[in-house]
Amino acid sequence: METQIEQLRLEALSAVAGASDASALKEARVRFLGKTGSVSLLSEGMRSLSKEERPVMGKLLNDLRTAVTAALEEKENALTAQADAAAFASIDASLPGTAPEAGSLHPLTLLVDRAVQIFRRLGFAIADGPDIETEWHCFDALNTPADHPARNEQDTFYLPDGRLLRTHTSSIQIRTMVANPPPIRIIAPGAAYRRDEVDATHLAQFTQMEGLYVAPGVSLADLKGTIEFFFRELFGSGTEIRFRPHFFPFTEPSYEIDLRTEALGGKWMELAGCGMVDPAVFEEVNKQRGDSAYDPEKVSGFAFGFGLDRLAMNLTGVSDIRMLTENDLRFLSRFTA
Amino acid sequence: MKISLSWLRDHLRTDKPASEIARILTDAGLEVGAVESNGVSTAKVVAARILESVQHPNADRLSVCKVDDGSGTPRQIVCGAKNYKVGDKVPLAQPGAVMPGDFKIKVGKLRGVESEGMMCSSKELGLGEGADGLLILDPATTIGTPLTELFPAEEVFEIEITPNRPDWLGHLGVAREAAAFGCGELISPAPSLPSTKEDASIAAIAAHDASSFYSIRRIEGVKVAPSPEWLRKRLESVGLRPINNIVDITNFVMFETGQPLHAFDAGTVAGALGVRMAAEGEKFTALDGSEHQLTPCDPVIADSKGAQGVLALAGITGGKASGVSDGTTSILLESAVFTPGIIRRAARAHGLSTDSSYRFERGVDAAGALAASARATALILEVTGGNASSELAVAGSLPAPRVVTLRGDRVRSLLGIDLDDAGIAALLAKLGLRQVTDGFEIPAWRNDLTREVDLIEEVARLHGIGNITSRLHAGAALSSEADRSYDFALSLRRRLAGAGFHEARSGTLTGSRDQEAFSTGGVIAVRNPMGEEHSTLRGSLIPGLLDSVARNLRHGAESVRLFEIGRVYQTPEKNKAEERLRLGLVMTGRVHGENWRGEPARPLDLFDLKGVLSRFGAVTFRAASHARLPLALEILISGKPAGLLGILSPADAREVMVGGHQGQILVAELDLAPLEKSSTAVVSKGTAALPKFPSVRRDLALLLDAAVPYAVVEESALAAKEELLTGIIPFDIFSDPKGEKVPLGKKSLAVALTFQHADRTLTTEEVNDALARIVTRLRESAGAEIRG
Repeated sequence: METQIEQLRLEALSAVAGASDASALKEARVRFLGKTGSVSLLSEGMRSLSKEERPVMGKLLNDLRTAVTAALEEKENALTAQADAAAFASIDASLPGTAPEAGSLHPLTLLVDRAVQIFRRLGFAIADGPDIETEWHCFDALNTPADHPARNEQDTFYLPDGRLLRTHTSSIQIRTMVANPPPIRIIAPGAAYRRDEVDATHLAQFTQMEGLYVAPGVSLADLKGTIEFFFRELFGSGTEIRFRPHFFPFTEPSYEIDLRTEALGGKWMELAGCGMVDPAVFEEVNKQRGDSAYDPEKVSGFAFGFGLDRLAMNLTGVSDIRMLTENDLRFLSRFTA
Repeated sequence: MKISLSWLRDHLRTDKPASEIARILTDAGLEVGAVESNGVSTAKVVAARILESVQHPNADRLSVCKVDDGSGTPRQIVCGAKNYKVGDKVPLAQPGAVMPGDFKIKVGKLRGVESEGMMCSSKELGLGEGADGLLILDPATTIGTPLTELFPAEEVFEIEITPNRPDWLGHLGVAREAAAFGCGELISPAPSLPSTKEDASIAAIAAHDASSFYSIRRIEGVKVAPSPEWLRKRLESVGLRPINNIVDITNFVMFETGQPLHAFDAGTVAGALGVRMAAEGEKFTALDGSEHQLTPCDPVIADSKGAQGVLALAGITGGKASGVSDGTTSILLESAVFTPGIIRRAARAHGLSTDSSYRFERGVDAAGALAASARATALILEVTGGNASSELAVAGSLPAPRVVTLRGDRVRSLLGIDLDDAGIAALLAKLGLRQVTDGFEIPAWRNDLTREVDLIEEVARLHGIGNITSRLHAGAALSSEADRSYDFALSLRRRLAGAGFHEARSGTLTGSRDQEAFSTGGVIAVRNPMGEEHSTLRGSLIPGLLDSVARNLRHGAESVRLFEIGRVYQTPEKNKAEERLRLGLVMTGRVHGENWRGEPARPLDLFDLKGVLSRFGAVTFRAASHARLPLALEILISGKPAGLLGILSPADAREVMVGGHQGQILVAELDLAPLEKSSTAVVSKGTAALPKFPSVRRDLALLLDAAVPYAVVEESALAAKEELLTGIIPFDIFSDPKGEKVPLGKKSLAVALTFQHADRTLTTEEVNDALARIVTRLRESAGAEIRG
């Protein structure tokens, strides 16, 4: 019997080793370890053995079973690993990936949002106002003389009822101050309109970002610091900023802001206007509010505004501003998130 | 405004170069936009005489010339021009000259023949286009004279003058500012002022609102002639055309001092000259020949006894009849102050914008008018001869100097600087502001300085913002309603971009035609549009999006998915604001682009867009009708109408489509406010516990009349609060046009029903009972038969 066991062991191990796939292996398992398999049949032969032989043979049989089981398991693992490896071998991973169609955000949206995020770091909240404005909000309250050329029908769009399309987002300053007492610190992205002939560098409608900070003790130094922080955060710490004295009816002193940065081609570029809120604006707001919340002796403030379209043109490298409203997918696809 | 640098140097002693002067002026607030350079600034270009000219041996088009440039040795020059003859004098660029465009002249061979320089055209010298060929110089020109002497370089600044500073509208004012900002020393001509006398028989003001000061100086025995060269050059340098010596002097003084002047031919005036308002219907012929019908809003100059009627439109233009002509021998020189608003109104009403009206609109002062009159009189006597009346006849008055108070603390706190009162006074003194007991006395030419803050601005300019230490305050801010709307719109934008849509931005001013079709209210037209295509405020986002679709299809796009979040404008109606933020969507093309899998890309249809909208939470749909959308659904948010979804009509689609593009165009538009309101929670709702017990799925195959909508099936199934039924999904629909698999007029619909209980595992009996109830309802309400 001992010889039989040894023979069966060699036979079984060779069968296991020779199994080339899962089904051959299963066949080998049944053939040797199944209920009617060779090992079981041999076990039945135990009964005819003497008391002394039984434990010895029993141990040998057990060892046989263990050895075959182990070999089966090892072979199974090997076959699985082999199959697993083969499963991916035929895939050409160099083919391009596929994904659902990707959309994009408009570059002006991305630019507005970048600006919003920077001002929010300083504690500015967003304010809003209508595109269709009264002449009072757009001009009178902003200290613009009654016969100022900007009010001209040649420069400003009017509606039949005498209202107009706001020529700047500065009207939102007025709406915010009339509705809220100081301190206020707001930014207002929005559309503005001027009767410009549309060409490669002009649109009749453009996108602006307005800012206003009114509180006791706000000074020109605060204006300078805020503007510098914003543009350096937007374009990098190496950004050069130049304030040029200018004139706006609603601020005094007033400045235009020029910028030079690699991000904008390394040339000086006129980008924004700013200044300290003119006391006459506060007085108009007070009149409308019916109080003296904006007493120019007690509060002061700064305001700024800049156009985003030309900035977006520069940052996206387009030479025609109309590209920003033509919604050409070849252009928009560049901004896929 | 053009400022000639050499003219400026008449009033400013400075050794600074043009670029430095430009920088200082810009820092002071006079933005120098461009520095034009007229004349020749290139050295080593001299007048030379052509001694001989022969054909180039190797080139038909070239000649070989010998020229005398005064150096003693004739030079050999190869030349391509043909417009000269031997003996002509022409500009010669000698070796070493650097021409405009950084082109260096050197000795070299042209087609094998040596050339020792270049004979130049006016274009090559930077003198403008000129005639073709060489610039032929005056025969009297001395050989060897540098061209820089014949055509001296004349640098001219183009300066943007802000409307608050009329004093900068003359060279003297600019020089004054430059000197104040450290650019040199002011050279101020101090004309000896004549004595003045109020004499209503010579000068009078009847319209005091229109003029506060009016003066007339009589000058007899003038000789009208062309102006001397210096005067002509001055005027030409700032773009003015010389006319005659009298007119040129009035223009010269205007560009020097900023004060417009006018000379009347005294022979055409009878009696006193005065300012009055025109009578209704009075007629006037301007110097340029244009005819004007006047109104009582027009300030005019008229003589008291004359039959001429109106002699000038005050401050704007003189009249043809009273102007200075060749035959004029005596003149009346007017120097006055007219009211800005009245001049602006009249100039605009008559479409006349002149150098004179431009300055009066911004404001002049009486003291300046007096000085300008004296300056012009002196020049006229010098240039044309004649005698001036010893006195200046005036009406109106010189205002007393204004004093403005200024608190040092206010300066320091508003500017954030640490400058003591003496320092402040020293800065203001540079501008001619004299400290007096009550504050600062303002020079006559600074009409703009009336308030404390005006003086603070001057301190800021002179101190320089560069010398102010930046300060930064940051603080907490509560988010505003606008902040929340902004954030919602941005998150929506990101979701839509993630769903494959590109964000569009279209103009809000559009043509009216399509606006009316898609607007849900009355559209708003602009009173003064820039053309029909931009005449109306958009009442809907859809027309703009369709334009963009058409443009992209023309460019060869196969699929287009666009969205826009923007304002639309409609005449206000009940419960609807005039300006509303809306979301518009449009899509056409295929579900995905071509790829290596070779899977057929299904054309996009209504359900692709409906699916995008369904993700927005509280959105539901119901059938609707629309003129331009043959298949339309109303979009409901929290059960309330908020927008529209549909398939664009084939007729409209054909206008958008080009080439071989096929398929449907799906459009949708809805209000953003209710959508925002329905999704305000920071973390989305859904507080119910997750199910602990398994669900059971049962499929039903139904045979229905083809006309029965799916919604009826869903409603029937869900009716009567079937509490175990938690979901219904249609997963197969078909009909057979041959009537074989499904009878004609019928359709087959397979639905998967999901049953679940929160507290226990369902028994087969429970599910069977529920299914039986549902089947009964489907038979009764939807006329369904159960297949198989």
